[in-house]
Amino acid sequence: MAKSEPQRAVFTALVSDNKAVGKDFFSLQLQLNAGAAKVFRNALPGQFAQLDLSRLALPAEISDELAQQAGRQILLRRPFSFTNIECAGSKVILEILYCVLGPATLRMKTLKPADEINLIGPLGNGFKIFKDKKLAILVAGGTGSPPLQHLAKELKNQCPKMETIVFAGAKTLSQLPYRDIKLEKISKEPSYVLSKFEKHNAKALISTDDGSAGFKGFVTAMLTKWLKDKKPDSNKTIIYACGPEAMMSQVAAISSQFNIPCQVSLERMMACGTGLCQSCAVKCIDKQTKETGYKLCCKDGPVFWADEVVW
Amino acid sequence: MEQKVDLTVDFAGLRLKNPVFTASGTCGYADELGDFMDVSQLGGFITKSITLQKRDGNPVPRVVETDSGMLNAIGLANIGVDRFIVEKVPLIKQFDTPFFVNVAGSTIEEYTSVAAKLAACSEIAGLELNISCPNVKKGGITFGTDPKLVSEITSAVKNSAGDKLLIVKLTPSITDISEIASAAIDAGADALSMINTFTAMVIDIETRRPVLANRTGGLSGPAIKPIAVYLTNKVYREIAKPANVPILAGGGIRNAADAIEFIIAGATAVSIGTASFIYPDSAIKIIDGIRKYCLRHNIGRISELTGCLK
Repeated sequence: MAKSEPQRAVFTALVSDNKAVGKDFFSLQLQLNAGAAKVFRNALPGQFAQLDLSRLALPAEISDELAQQAGRQILLRRPFSFTNIECAGSKVILEILYCVLGPATLRMKTLKPADEINLIGPLGNGFKIFKDKKLAILVAGGTGSPPLQHLAKELKNQCPKMETIVFAGAKTLSQLPYRDIKLEKISKEPSYVLSKFEKHNAKALISTDDGSAGFKGFVTAMLTKWLKDKKPDSNKTIIYACGPEAMMSQVAAISSQFNIPCQVSLERMMACGTGLCQSCAVKCIDKQTKETGYKLCCKDGPVFWADEVVW
Repeated sequence: MEQKVDLTVDFAGLRLKNPVFTASGTCGYADELGDFMDVSQLGGFITKSITLQKRDGNPVPRVVETDSGMLNAIGLANIGVDRFIVEKVPLIKQFDTPFFVNVAGSTIEEYTSVAAKLAACSEIAGLELNISCPNVKKGGITFGTDPKLVSEITSAVKNSAGDKLLIVKLTPSITDISEIASAAIDAGADALSMINTFTAMVIDIETRRPVLANRTGGLSGPAIKPIAVYLTNKVYREIAKPANVPILAGGGIRNAADAIEFIIAGATAVSIGTASFIYPDSAIKIIDGIRKYCLRHNIGRISELTGCLK
């Protein structure tokens, strides 16, 4: 059984692959040494690692958008959740999906097989899986997809009878972090259009704000419409969401409206990721006392119940 | 025969096993670093700031990265002195290193109340006075920028702190740091700690707003190191050495070479702050690096190095 709090530590990992997945998205594979493999083997979807990217070189080509900030000296680690943890015997491979957004992820592009990278993890608390549920709804906004891919895999492994439907949205087609979207297969019913989820028996519905793929509009509008039409049993359904804060606050409101429990994976600027700096505060409400106070995204989260967060 | 280096230092009458501290606000309350290192190997430990009442802290963003540095505006989030004494002080016993509690407040009475409560805890070696807080009774002026206020608060806390060693932590956001250092020592400070972060700002040019919710924050990290080394040397020469008061110095220390710069400048001990966010066992590696430096330079005792700047 997976432990809820595996031992966290500082490790060195070996890059085994680093390839482009669509425009601006990359998939990094890290092979863990024996010590790291032991603790990451049981890491939960939604947990994360802090990567030291400060020693990496800049790529030869830098886009105009990033030109001014590219030379900034990186100081802090960067947090990443995992799309997958692959265990084969004693070998453990971590998969990280990243988007090139700033000076640190720009440097990440230059990682190549056999390079070493330092990481701390696994950190935080992951998604909780409930075996009595019949339907899991995964709401993935843009770059929020990675931990939900990992979750889909665990749901299939731990609850083979549970149905999993993915609501995947982004501003536009190129910002959907999947390499092989089967545009011709996108329909108004959940279908196998995303191979990353299809392999875990999870059907998907796609939305883009500009209508360049699937439903035209916010992923939350698509979710509301679907819940109204299908009326799933709220006692047997659970929603898991990861994406921009505005999207997750909407998903939280929808889950409350339809009385469906919901877990969200939040993002905050954090200096350490280990509970030392207290930067990554999340305002929460105590359900019993109704008192509000800050919890830490890195230690108490990044996964929270949607109704404990003060949005 | 294996060469030996004596890393022990005399810190205001307290014998430390080595000169390396973890800095307030970067190492938690007591046992948080335990997953990554043996806390007992430290020369000393300084807790995050403790106030009389519990504080939730500032809204987010509380932190932003800058060139070779970072700004933070946590807002002294802490559980308050009473819970600290019940929940955290008992954890200290397991560690074989002196613990100092960083004390903050917004009135002199708040500081002295916290100091009095901590004075009763035998587990605690001393207090570090955070005087970089605004004084609400004096129109929000920062305690640490006015020599009179520094004198007043230092002697008030010293009187409340019983036999606890009192370290006063200086703010660098001031015209003449020596004047403040002198006021603290004259009022009874047993040691000086320097430096706190520099007040700074980062602006988002798209929204034209400060990035931090608090608008300003404290700059730390390698970016401030040369200024911190200079200020350490200035205070050492002008005030601390003549008064025979030790300095616990830091600001952007990432490795042993950085730490040794501060010791040469005049520090008796060094504090490791932001580096612990990136490599949580930084302090332990720095102790080892200092030992190796001493071996390479035939230095028998690390204390010989303090203030040896040519």
